[in-house]
Amino acid sequence: MWTDLLYAFDAVATLPNFLAMAAGIWAGVIIGAIPGMTGTMAVTLALPFTFYMPPVTSILLLVALYKGSTYGGSISAILIKTPGTASAACTVLDGYPLAQQGKGGKALNMALVSSCIGDFISNISLFFLALPLALFALRVGPPEYFMLMAFSLTIVASISGKSLLLGIVSGCLGLLLATVGEDMYGSFRFAVSEDMKNGLGVVPVLIGLFALPELIRLVVFRPEDTSIAMKLGDNRLTLSEFRHSLKSILRGSVIGVILGAIPGIGPSTAAFFSYSEARRTSKTPEKFGEGELEGIAAAESANNGCCGATMIPLLALGIPGDVITGVMLGAFMIHGMTPGPMLFQNNLGDVYALFIGILFSSVFLFFAGKMTAGAFSKISRIPQHLLLPCILILCVFGIYSIGSSSFDVAVLLVMGVVGFGMMLLNIPAAPFLIAFIIGPMFEDNMRRSLAISRGDLGVFFQSWISWGFFLLTVLFVALTIRREWQKWRTKSRTTA
Amino acid sequence: MFRHLKKAAFGAAALLAATAVVSGAQAQSYPEKPVTLIIPYGAGGASDLAGRALAETARPYLGDQPVVVVNQPGNSGMTGARVVSESDADGYTLLLSRVGMALYPAVYADSPVGWDAYSFLGILEVTPMILAVNADSDIKSVDDLLTKIRENQGRMTYAASGPTAIDGFTVQALLSDAGLDPLSAATLIPYEGGGQLASAVLGGHVDFLAIASASLMPHIEAGKMRALMVYAPKRMPNLPDVPTAKELGYELAGQVSGWSGFYGPKNLPADVRAKWTEVLGKVAVDEQWLSLAEKRGAVSVIGEDEPNAYVESQFKLYNDMAKKFGYIQ
Repeated sequence: MWTDLLYAFDAVATLPNFLAMAAGIWAGVIIGAIPGMTGTMAVTLALPFTFYMPPVTSILLLVALYKGSTYGGSISAILIKTPGTASAACTVLDGYPLAQQGKGGKALNMALVSSCIGDFISNISLFFLALPLALFALRVGPPEYFMLMAFSLTIVASISGKSLLLGIVSGCLGLLLATVGEDMYGSFRFAVSEDMKNGLGVVPVLIGLFALPELIRLVVFRPEDTSIAMKLGDNRLTLSEFRHSLKSILRGSVIGVILGAIPGIGPSTAAFFSYSEARRTSKTPEKFGEGELEGIAAAESANNGCCGATMIPLLALGIPGDVITGVMLGAFMIHGMTPGPMLFQNNLGDVYALFIGILFSSVFLFFAGKMTAGAFSKISRIPQHLLLPCILILCVFGIYSIGSSSFDVAVLLVMGVVGFGMMLLNIPAAPFLIAFIIGPMFEDNMRRSLAISRGDLGVFFQSWISWGFFLLTVLFVALTIRREWQKWRTKSRTTA
Repeated sequence: MFRHLKKAAFGAAALLAATAVVSGAQAQSYPEKPVTLIIPYGAGGASDLAGRALAETARPYLGDQPVVVVNQPGNSGMTGARVVSESDADGYTLLLSRVGMALYPAVYADSPVGWDAYSFLGILEVTPMILAVNADSDIKSVDDLLTKIRENQGRMTYAASGPTAIDGFTVQALLSDAGLDPLSAATLIPYEGGGQLASAVLGGHVDFLAIASASLMPHIEAGKMRALMVYAPKRMPNLPDVPTAKELGYELAGQVSGWSGFYGPKNLPADVRAKWTEVLGKVAVDEQWLSLAEKRGAVSVIGEDEPNAYVESQFKLYNDMAKKFGYIQ
């Protein structure tokens, strides 16, 4: 094994490989930071170029783009409240308030450090735990998946802000909207027009909900301070702040690795999951959502923690978990390598070279992120009344470029108005989004389980994985009820 | 500030004028600009790889004009198909079509695009589909599987993209040939995409499936899955011991198989058609095209079938099946 590793190191430590990784990460960060342009798009655009590269270089380029874009999304999430990719949606919750307090630079640094740590832990687990994690992921069948999604829905309680009731309302609206389009058996729901048969895209809904309401508010209320840019004061991340968040970073990374290894869950769910855990264990949960660095740390470590882990089912089993790894599967096949158990037998040298290259990518991510975030943080100096129209233009173009579909743009604008309405009514947007993302997985796996068992509910309690998530869900709901009851009691005491 | 704006506006106007001039001087020798090839499914799948291979191979034969690949997935591929069928018939927007473009209109009367709403430029490749079970299963042959399906009276499960998708029809055709009720003899569990479908069988969550070979070959080669039957005109070179549906005497299943075609909007100009006939002729014997096809597990069939007749026969095949299975009256 050690000679194999040494050979692999020799094979990977070449200038073209390092150049491909550096270029990939940097391009990824920039693409991720532009609202509407996603990692999927970056990887798809780069695919034809990889036809002419050696296999290891081409996969490293695609992995680098993926990682870069996952981090890059946090830059615009923090600075302009517009998550560049869906995985950064959770970063908005605390990132934007921090930027408004003039701590944008600090938030960016926190996001970068936790992304790199999450990324590194993810890479290490890809190296050492690929097989056991892949086998675990295979055991997650429809019933286990359903229980996991049920537990994920309890996250709504953590991201509802001041009122749990409004949070639940928002989550229900999200679940409802997720039913639009074709269901798994091919019948159509709420498909008023031909375009709606596809359902609504996550990215237009996400950007419409988070970015546009701010712009509409500016036009409708005309606040006087719009020509004043945000202050850029506190930029450095201190050691004590880092230490304070370290536990959340590590926990977020582990959550990212486990959820990333299960095909189909994805980094945005992992980020919300980790955020909810960080808030639950925090001594000051009320600060979450008002600009808590730990919230950014939890979200960003988890979404980058997914990056390496999504490669686990791809490499170990040949199963792509999302669109990006689907594109990577294509790139492997073009080079005559078939991911799966045989890859480790037939192309062990390439696999090791790939692992070593991926380990290096965390370092590249740090430097590329540092340079890019520095440049981007100057955006905060642009006065709001100039910046927001530019964001709108970027959003519209970005959304259009995903699928060259004007329907997506319409969804974006309508969701902007809906988001503005929710803002006026103090309904939080985050539960809406997470329910919208989880909804289809929740529904599909419930229906799959019941189809397999022919309607017998016992199917949900047949394995320890299902039981585990079921008990966690019950526990979490009980804790939430207790917390709400205590809140209500202290309130009624103070008023009495 | 306003001076800059004026400059920008002037620039934009000049740019517009320039594009107007370019598009005004049309097609003296096609192609004069890059050709867009729309793939109606997501990146990384079998259709995407086929489209990209065609784009790469065709480029030198098109006077070095690139073929730009655009993925436009959605609604079982009909979203991308609709975009092409409704675009200008100038030869600059073309479609990498799949069996779905004939199957969907055969099953849905309200299909957004008819099966014949295109100009057919060629049939590119046939992609076999494989009937497979988990390697731990005690099912060793198609007969074992059918016996088990009969014994369990509907409790056996199979994974497919949907009842009216091609990978649902593979199983339903087999059930129908075996004299069973195609819709209730076994239970369909819908999953999305080749990876999820394969993992449902690998993880033991469903009993069997019959989907595109590209998604299954890695698992069969690794000994995690067992191939029972191939849906293709001939046996697959890397599975010489696995019989085809036709050999086993299954009439409907013997006619089912995946394929990729190459379409344009209706009423393509004659020079565009002529150019592509010439280019496809060269692609058919191109080393790169053939080796990429082999890597994806596909068999190149460019020029072997008359595309109009082929697509029509495919439409009829699935239309008859849909009637027989009871999806349409």
